[in-house]
Amino acid sequence: MENKKFASKKGRERATLVIIYAVLILISLVWLIPFFILVIQSFSSNSGMAADTLFPKQWTFDNYVKLFTETKFMTWYGNTMLVSVVVTVFQTVIVLMTSYALSRLRFKMRKPLMNVMLILGMFPGFLSMTAVYFVLKEINLTQNLIGLMLVYSASSAMQYYICKGFFDTIPKSLDEAARIDGASRHTVFVKIILPLAKPIIIYTILTAFIAPWGEYMFSSFIMLGDPDKYTVAVGMKSWLDNSVLAGEYFTVFCAAAVVVSIPITALFIWLQRYYVEGVTGGSVKG
Amino acid sequence: MANVSLKHIYKVYPNGTKAVNDFNMDIADKEFIVFVGPSGCGKSTTLRMIAGLEDISAGELKIGDTVVNDMEPKDRDIAMVFQNYALYPHMTVYENIAFGLRLRKLPKDEIHNKVVEAAEILGITEYLNKKPKEMSGGQRQRVALGRAIVREPKVMLLDEPLSNLDAKLRTQMRAEISKLYKKLGTTFIYVTHDQVEAMTMGTRIVVMKNGYVQQIDTPKNLYNYPANKFVAGFIGTPQMSFFEGTLKKDGEFVIIKFDRSNAEIKAPYSMLYKAKPSILDGKTKVYIGLRAEDISVVDNAGKDCAVIDVVVSHKEELGSETLIYGELCGGEEGAGESRIIIKDDGGREINAGDVVKVALDIGKVHLFDKETERSVMPRIPEYNYLDCQVKDGKLIFHNASFDLPSAVKCVDAKGELLLPLNAVTLDGELKAEVLSCEYINGVYLLSMSINGNRLFALSREKVESSTVNIGIDFKKITVIADGEKVIQPIPEVNSFDCSFIKRKTRRSIEQNGKVKNKKMIEFGFLTEDVFFAASDEAAQKIFSALGVKKAVTSQFKMECGIYDISVSDSGIPACVNRILDYGKDIFLKCAVGENTVYVKTDKEYVGDIFLAPDMDKIGIAESERDIKII
Repeated sequence: MENKKFASKKGRERATLVIIYAVLILISLVWLIPFFILVIQSFSSNSGMAADTLFPKQWTFDNYVKLFTETKFMTWYGNTMLVSVVVTVFQTVIVLMTSYALSRLRFKMRKPLMNVMLILGMFPGFLSMTAVYFVLKEINLTQNLIGLMLVYSASSAMQYYICKGFFDTIPKSLDEAARIDGASRHTVFVKIILPLAKPIIIYTILTAFIAPWGEYMFSSFIMLGDPDKYTVAVGMKSWLDNSVLAGEYFTVFCAAAVVVSIPITALFIWLQRYYVEGVTGGSVKG
Repeated sequence: MANVSLKHIYKVYPNGTKAVNDFNMDIADKEFIVFVGPSGCGKSTTLRMIAGLEDISAGELKIGDTVVNDMEPKDRDIAMVFQNYALYPHMTVYENIAFGLRLRKLPKDEIHNKVVEAAEILGITEYLNKKPKEMSGGQRQRVALGRAIVREPKVMLLDEPLSNLDAKLRTQMRAEISKLYKKLGTTFIYVTHDQVEAMTMGTRIVVMKNGYVQQIDTPKNLYNYPANKFVAGFIGTPQMSFFEGTLKKDGEFVIIKFDRSNAEIKAPYSMLYKAKPSILDGKTKVYIGLRAEDISVVDNAGKDCAVIDVVVSHKEELGSETLIYGELCGGEEGAGESRIIIKDDGGREINAGDVVKVALDIGKVHLFDKETERSVMPRIPEYNYLDCQVKDGKLIFHNASFDLPSAVKCVDAKGELLLPLNAVTLDGELKAEVLSCEYINGVYLLSMSINGNRLFALSREKVESSTVNIGIDFKKITVIADGEKVIQPIPEVNSFDCSFIKRKTRRSIEQNGKVKNKKMIEFGFLTEDVFFAASDEAAQKIFSALGVKKAVTSQFKMECGIYDISVSDSGIPACVNRILDYGKDIFLKCAVGENTVYVKTDKEYVGDIFLAPDMDKIGIAESERDIKII
C-alpha cells in the first residue's frame, strides 16, 4: 500500500517533468529555427530568397566572400563597432556614477528626479527623433558618427534603475567606514564600491553595447543619404529595400547577420556568469 | 586621546522629529562611556553625530579643544567600529587594516609594522591574508577593531559591536574590548542596548530614552540610585519589581501600604529620611521599587520584619540561584502592578501556586512619583521641605528664626518652606550639627540637625567639623501658606522674545587716506524693537542650526541670567516696578513689555530705565521647537 502510493507519486513527478521538457523543447525550437535557417542560408549558393529546400543543394563560401569584397559591409561594421564601443564606455561611466549618486546622496528633489527619469525612459526614444535631428543639424553633426554617439549616450543616465538597486544592497556602513578611514566620496566610489559592483558593471557594459549595436531607427534617420556612414542595421536593411537587390542579396544578408551576431555572442559567453549574477545579485545579497 | 564635550546637542529631522534632545555631557580623556537605551532612543544617532556621519542640528560638539560640528569624519581623528563590522569584502584582512593608513600616504614599512602590531594585539596574525568572508563573526569583529586601533585615534566609537555575535563570543569579546581599552588609554564611546554590556564595561553610563538623557552616572550609582523608574527598570537583571502604594509617616516610623497586598509594613523613618515629605501623607500614590536580591523568602515572620505574602507563579532555576516569579496577594484587584521577582538561593522547595512569606529590605527601597516617574527619594534631595511660620518679619522654622530682608517681607502666615539645598549657605549665624557628609558626584551632601530636625545642604569641600554655621539665601526660597505662594524665589534667568534679523548699515571707513562710506551687513537680535548685534560666532550657530531662510523667520527666546544684564544708558526700555533688597544684593523687578525681568544693581533706580544684556553670556533658543542654539 505504502509502496504503491510512493510509486504513483514518483510516476506523477516523472509525467510532470516530461510535459515540462516537451514544452521547453518546443519553445526552444521556435527560438532556434530562424537562426538555424539563417546560418544554413548563408552557405547556400542559391542566391534567391525562394529556396525550395531547407538545406541548400550546393554549399559555398561565396556569400561571405561577396560580403567582404563587393559590399560596404566592412565599413558599416567598423562604424557600428566604433560607435558601440565609445557609447559603451560613456554609458557605463555615466550610469554607474548616476546610480551611485542616487543611491548614496540625499538631496532635494531626489525622489521626483528619479521618478521623472524612470517615466521618461519608458517613452520610445524615436518620439524625439525629428527634434534630435534638427538639433544635430544645427551643430553640424548629421551624417556624422559623433552625432550618433552623442544621441546614444545622451539618455544613458535613465538606465540607472537596476544599477542603483544593486548599490542599495551594498551596506552603507562600508561607505561610512571608508569615510572615517579618510576616504573622499570619490575614493569610496572607486576603491570600495566599484570592486564590489563587478557583476553590475558587466551587466551595464553588456546592455550598453547591445543597444547601439542593433539600433536602426536613429541611425537610419541621422545617417540618411550617406552610405559610408551607415551602421550594419541600416546598411543591411538597405539591401532589402530594393526588391531586385533583395533577391540577389538574400544569402549575403544571411552571411552578414551571422557575422554581426559574432561579437555579441562572444561578449555574452565571456561575461555570462557575471551577467546572471548581476541581474539576480541584488535579490540574494541581502 | 582627548576629551569630548557635547553642549545642547540636538538632532531634528526635516519633518520635525527630534531624535536627540538637548544632550549635554563632558567626557574626560580616557573615559569609557556607554550609551545605553532601548532601540530608537537616539544613542546611535548621538554616536554618529560625534563621528560626523550625521549632521548636528544644533549645539556644539568639541573633540579636544576644537569645535568639530562642520568637520569631515576623516578630519576628526576618530575611529569607528560598526555593528555589521563593515569590512571591505574585496580586500584581505591586511588590506582592510591598512586601508586608512594607505589613504594617509604613510610609508610602506610603517604601515606594515603598524598592521602587524595591531594584528598581534588582537590575535589575528594568521588571518592577515584571508578575505573577511572566510572568517567567523568574532574574527571579523577583531579585524574591525584592528582597523580602528591601527590609526591611533583620539576617540574610539563603537556602535553595538557585539550585537551580531552569539552569547558566548559576546562575553569573550566584551572582556577583550575592556582589555583593549586599558591597553590603549584612549577615550571610548560605546553604544549598546544591552545593559549587561553597559554595566560591565563603562566607567560612566548614559541611559537614554526617546531622545532624552535619563541619567549619566557610574554603573554602581545607576544601579543603586536610579533617577527615575525607567532607569531603575532598565538597569539590572532580573528587573526591579515595582508596586504601587502609599507611605505614611507616623512618628519615628513610616507605614507602607501596597495596593495589591493587605500587608502593612512599618519601617523606621531613618531608612527613608531622604524621601520627599509630601509623599509621606498616606494618600499620594508612589511606585515602590525593590530589586530581586533585596527580597527574600522567609520561613516565619519576625514581628518587626517587613513581610508580605506572595503567590508563586513560576520559577527559573539558574543553577547557582533560583528566580521566583510571583504575584502579591490580597488588596484591590487590577490596581497596578503586582509582579514580584525574588532571588532565592535555591535551598527551599517552592512550587508554583504556593503562598510564601517574603521579606523586603526597606533600606534598599526606591520610590518614584506616579505621575512623573522620577525618584522621590533622590540621592541629593532638591529641596528641604520644612514647616515654617512668618511672624513679625521673621521666618521661623525648626525653632530657629531668621530676619526676612525687605525684599521678601510679607504678612504673618503659617505654611511650608521650600528651601533648595543651594539656598543653605555655610556662612551664616545659625549653628547646626553635622550628622553626615556624603560625597556625591563632585559635591558633598551635608545632612545636619537643627534643634533635632534634619536639614540638607551642599558643600564644595568636605566638612569635617561637627558643627557648621548656616545661613539662608532668601532669593531662592518659597513659602507656601494656604496653597498660595507668599514668598517666591526670583528666577535665575530672564527670558525675552526676540527675532534674528539682518540689517544694513553705513559706516565710515578710512582706506588709503580716504574716508569711505561703506555699506555693511550686520546680523543681530531684535527684542522690544532694540537691535543687539550678534557676534559672528553666534550668527554662524544660528545659520547652521536653521539655515539662512529659517533663521530670519523663526521666533527666538533670548535667555539671560539675572547677573548678566545691567542697567545702561541705552538698550531695552524697562520700567522699574519694585526694588528688591536682599540685604547683600539689590535687584530691580522691571516690566519689559508683558514680561517681568529681574536685574541686579548697585544703585536704586526708579521709573524708566534701559537694560543691556551681556551679549557674550546670553542663550538663544528657537521658540517653536524649543531648541537651544546658543
